[in-house]
Amino acid sequence: MTSGYPITGAAVANCLGSDNRTVFEHAFSGAETFSPASEFAALPFPTQLGIMPALDNVGELDCTPTRLAAVALASARQLVPAVRAAVERWTAPRIAYVFASSTGGLEETERALAPDPARLPSGAGYRYADHGIDATSRAIARYLGISGIQMAVSTACSSSFKALASATRLIEHGLADAVVVGSADSLCRTTIFGFHSLGLIAPTATQPFTADRCGITLGEGSAYVLIERATDATRRSAIAWLAGTGAASDAFHHTSPHPEGLGGQLCMRQALDQAGLTPNQIDYVSAHGTGTRLNDAAEAVAVSRVFERPMPLTATKSLTGHTLGSAGLTSLVLAIESLRRQEIPATVRAANLDPELAVAVVDKRTPAKIQHVLINAFGFGGSNASVVVSQSPRA
Amino acid sequence: MTTPVHVLGSSFFSTHHASLADALTGVERPVTPPAYALLVGRARRFTSLVTQMHIDVCGALPVDAAEPPLTVFATCHGEIQTADILIADFHTNSVVSSARFALSVHNSPSGLYSVATASQAPSTTITGDNAIAAGWLEAALTALDAGRNVILSIADEPVPASFQGPTERAGVAAAFLLGKCGGRRAELAIVPGATTVSDPFHLLAHMADAAARSESKALALGTIQPGMTLELRFV
Repeated sequence: MTSGYPITGAAVANCLGSDNRTVFEHAFSGAETFSPASEFAALPFPTQLGIMPALDNVGELDCTPTRLAAVALASARQLVPAVRAAVERWTAPRIAYVFASSTGGLEETERALAPDPARLPSGAGYRYADHGIDATSRAIARYLGISGIQMAVSTACSSSFKALASATRLIEHGLADAVVVGSADSLCRTTIFGFHSLGLIAPTATQPFTADRCGITLGEGSAYVLIERATDATRRSAIAWLAGTGAASDAFHHTSPHPEGLGGQLCMRQALDQAGLTPNQIDYVSAHGTGTRLNDAAEAVAVSRVFERPMPLTATKSLTGHTLGSAGLTSLVLAIESLRRQEIPATVRAANLDPELAVAVVDKRTPAKIQHVLINAFGFGGSNASVVVSQSPRA
Repeated sequence: MTTPVHVLGSSFFSTHHASLADALTGVERPVTPPAYALLVGRARRFTSLVTQMHIDVCGALPVDAAEPPLTVFATCHGEIQTADILIADFHTNSVVSSARFALSVHNSPSGLYSVATASQAPSTTITGDNAIAAGWLEAALTALDAGRNVILSIADEPVPASFQGPTERAGVAAAFLLGKCGGRRAELAIVPGATTVSDPFHLLAHMADAAARSESKALALGTIQPGMTLELRFV
């Protein structure tokens, strides 16, 4: 990566809103948008969920109208002007599409396999090939009018950052001139019951990095970015720059993080190296920050080891819920907006911060001079990825 | 435009065949699970067939433990049998097994492999119905960038009948150790024409066979972009 990659389009949709404007307005004002779980499903335990509002029309897509497709379309729709400009610059076959998802439309399968169709209607006519990652990603590519290389990545909660790294390789090796990197995950019962079985679901709204944090609030959402080869034209169109990516494995445990976040340390350092930045040049960290006791503790240790100072850190999952495979890109799009606004979005519900964690959690909307943000996305399997996003290209 | 590939080693496993030669000639055996010896003790519990096969073929590669390779796992259907069990469990009992849920993500084999080999090397998992083609491309590009060897492991287990999906009977896996130079030379090329991989079992067997021989051979890996196929050419 020489000057990095210009990001010429970014879009996000989740429980905060179905379009960038609403998401940003709610994120930077610290709006509370979690819902009682009963609005999605009857559950035998208490929790809240980040449910997307207004999931209605996927008529623009030529695919089965799944919840995943609706979630993905809400972001993809907003990227159309940027993608059209890229198609004019490069032609459609030179624009690749890398899609990331963890659960990949499992909600429809849950309905189809329900023993009592009356409990979960709408599974009728289910065909495996019509659901999940392929059907959604191909339909979105057709909708966007791009016909370059297509691939899908699924590494749990680090998926979208792994997809971003794959996208940079396609450009670097001349296989594409621009790449739409998209991610989406919709709520489904398998993940809600599954995280509950691990004791990781918060009964109330998640409170990352607080002393009384007790787990995740699951959410759903999508986030898309368009990255391009650096040219005079794309430099002018850049809303931010992808400066560096890093990835590493914990090699410790399948679901529990290394206590010192070793994989996280490695990938943060790698992302900084690739960006050509020192830790002191990063203005804040957008944490993975799931709100579980072990994850937040391990990430706090990793951040303090890499930055060696009380690093300003925010946890946007307190606003969006944990959108799983879309979590990394969701945080990235919010970081891009923070570069534009020169403000750090607050970690909400952070009144009672854990004094044992050596990080400076940003607990209110904070104006700041921001040039570089480092973002973490960590997942099951000890899969860690970090990204540095910058306001301008590397000198 | 072509992408160079150097294959330093390969391995193959089929639940229905005792060897690669038997797979190629159609000589079947009673269904046999993989040994996946890299996983020991509790790490073996609740692992699915697709994970076991990935671990088995990765474990058979000539890897230098002092320099752990990066890994790219590719799977069309992922942990589909585990998903089937989880869905049935919560429909029936309103609870699911925590251990099984933990292993339900597509990158379960990646996580277990990194723990078993104490490797902190980066890993990714490619999925979808063009996972074989996209996995090769991802692994080849990673090998060019990384300056270290890269394992590409491809595996799929039969899709449960309830999903009304593909009807392959056998579980099949192949793994390839890719480097930046040396070994069996090949290249990836994107050529006109769409290709549906209707028989991934035989494609994997022929890949592993071609990697172990010295003759030229071209294999269509599937559609990598609309109207275009990724071809693996052993030279």
